[in-house]
Amino acid sequence: MKREIPLLITFIAGFLIVVALFIPHPPFNKIEETFNSWYIIVAGFTFILGIDSLILHNWEKIRRRSEGWPFALTVILSFFITLIWGIVSGVRTGHIFSTNSTFRNYFYLYIYVPLQATMFAILSFFIASAAYRAFRARTLNATLLLLTASIVMLGRVPLGNVALIPVISIAVLMLLWVLVDELKYVTSPTQRLIYIGIAVVAVVAAFPITKFLYHNLSPVTDWIMNVPQMAAKRGLFIGLALGGIAVSLRIILGIEQSYMS
Amino acid sequence: MYGLTIFMTLLAFRPSPVVNFKVVDNPNDGGGRILITWDYAPDADLSEVDHLELLRIDKPGEGAIVVTRLSTVARQFTDSGLKNGKPYRYFLRVWFKDGSYIDTPISPPVVPKAQWFHTKRIVGLVILVLYGTLLMIFLKKAKRGEELTIRPIAGLQAVDDAVGRSTEMGRPLLFVLGLGTISDLATLAGLAILKRVAMKAAEYETDIIVPCFDPVVMAAAQETVKQGYLEAGRPDLFNEKSVYFLTQDQFGYAAGVDGIIMRQKPGAIFLQGAFFAESLIIAETGHSVGAIQIAGTSSVTQLPFLIAATDYTLIGEEMYAASAYLSRDPNSLATIKAEDWMKVIFIVLILIAVAFETASAITGNKSLSIFPKLFEFN
Repeated sequence: MKREIPLLITFIAGFLIVVALFIPHPPFNKIEETFNSWYIIVAGFTFILGIDSLILHNWEKIRRRSEGWPFALTVILSFFITLIWGIVSGVRTGHIFSTNSTFRNYFYLYIYVPLQATMFAILSFFIASAAYRAFRARTLNATLLLLTASIVMLGRVPLGNVALIPVISIAVLMLLWVLVDELKYVTSPTQRLIYIGIAVVAVVAAFPITKFLYHNLSPVTDWIMNVPQMAAKRGLFIGLALGGIAVSLRIILGIEQSYMS
Repeated sequence: MYGLTIFMTLLAFRPSPVVNFKVVDNPNDGGGRILITWDYAPDADLSEVDHLELLRIDKPGEGAIVVTRLSTVARQFTDSGLKNGKPYRYFLRVWFKDGSYIDTPISPPVVPKAQWFHTKRIVGLVILVLYGTLLMIFLKKAKRGEELTIRPIAGLQAVDDAVGRSTEMGRPLLFVLGLGTISDLATLAGLAILKRVAMKAAEYETDIIVPCFDPVVMAAAQETVKQGYLEAGRPDLFNEKSVYFLTQDQFGYAAGVDGIIMRQKPGAIFLQGAFFAESLIIAETGHSVGAIQIAGTSSVTQLPFLIAATDYTLIGEEMYAASAYLSRDPNSLATIKAEDWMKVIFIVLILIAVAFETASAITGNKSLSIFPKLFEFN
């Protein structure tokens, strides 16, 4: 019974939600809203579990003086300072975020918001390092990614078409440098010919490509975003929707039970 | 005085700029709403119109009440909060800049009522029935003992290797369930993978750390890890404190997970669940400590970041297939087979739709453009 009752509740709740999608008539039109309200109430109570876990976990670290225990002390102190300051400020001013609330004016605006902004700002450096790894032209796919991303990036910034000329020039020079460097190790005459052919094509094609992109950078960028990018994204969405139905059906029919171990 | 009379008479004969004034019960709703639509005459000079007023007559013989005031940009209005089964009549009053107005004819009485079927969702129902039928076919096959094979998923095959590598390095495993709640499918799929990882961790006697964003997810994760240890036959190794609540602040959570990564230096990191802007912050920190990383998310916008920063990424539905793939349960595999066949049906439908739309665009024959309307889902 320990498993059957939750499974029955899941089946009834899931089935009702699916039925409600197709029946707008009361009471079906209110089912999802009602279930969401119930979830919010239950989730509110589970916050006590979360706080309990947070304090106990960090307190244990302090007690055992395990590695990084000062961080655990900072967490507990910050938790109680925030809680007490928030309550006192809220009681004194009527609302925790009123304009004369010291919690809002000092803690929220000068500590919380800058801390959040700092974490978010770190993202820009991580994007650069991840992009560097992803865009290294080691394979054909990575090279295509590098080329496409370069066009889209240049197309999305002011004066991107002006910056395009030095970018393509440097790219061609780098390609020539790599080809000449590789040529030293190539012994087969056919391969040598292919390398020289690529170098010639790169030099000859660089000018018309630059000229074309200089005048059409914005439409090319839009085409990349609206056609191949959007097609891939929609493919993912269709897969996700079908996968979502499969998971939902597994849960509703009681085939999938790992969530209630 | 005589001139003013002529002017007022001319105003009285001014044609109404509003045409096709229609009042109908709002379709596909739970009742209590009436939809009012109208157009403007092609030759109407709307620069002369100041505003419109929609008026409603609740009872015959009673005066009209103003429902709303609208600009000439509006072409429709949905009046809500009405009583089902009670007739209502409407008309539009067009106010001109000179202070005069003109009314449309009063509409026939319209009764708001609730509908028993959402007609615009019929395609969704057909898909669901089709899916259900396919599922039944494959469930029957699974029951007959027929082998159901699905393609290998590199990210899931690497799960055992990642746990093994972490064990060899003597480092713990870190499992991040993201910012989703228990009602997110990505979180549920993440929990299924967590169970497998917990089983392997128990088998190899490796520590597992699961910092959680949501207290409900934390409770579910604790139970999942416990069950994993139990099924591996090592319940004695289970430490409830290894699954704990961190914070419900997005960047606070990212900072907390980054701190764990830098201090504990896990050998393998699993990022499985719903992720947002914090995904790359966590993944890049994980990369900096040399951990093998297996990510999986349904957040399409975060997939490029995870693909760039992690070793293996479960893309979209691969993550949803994880529990079936890892458990090899025939009934679960049947749902994946049904999903694959639905994909085949969709691919065929998309190809037919592309052919029809292209033909419609080339020939200019609008009757060929049937698919956009057919798949409209509101």
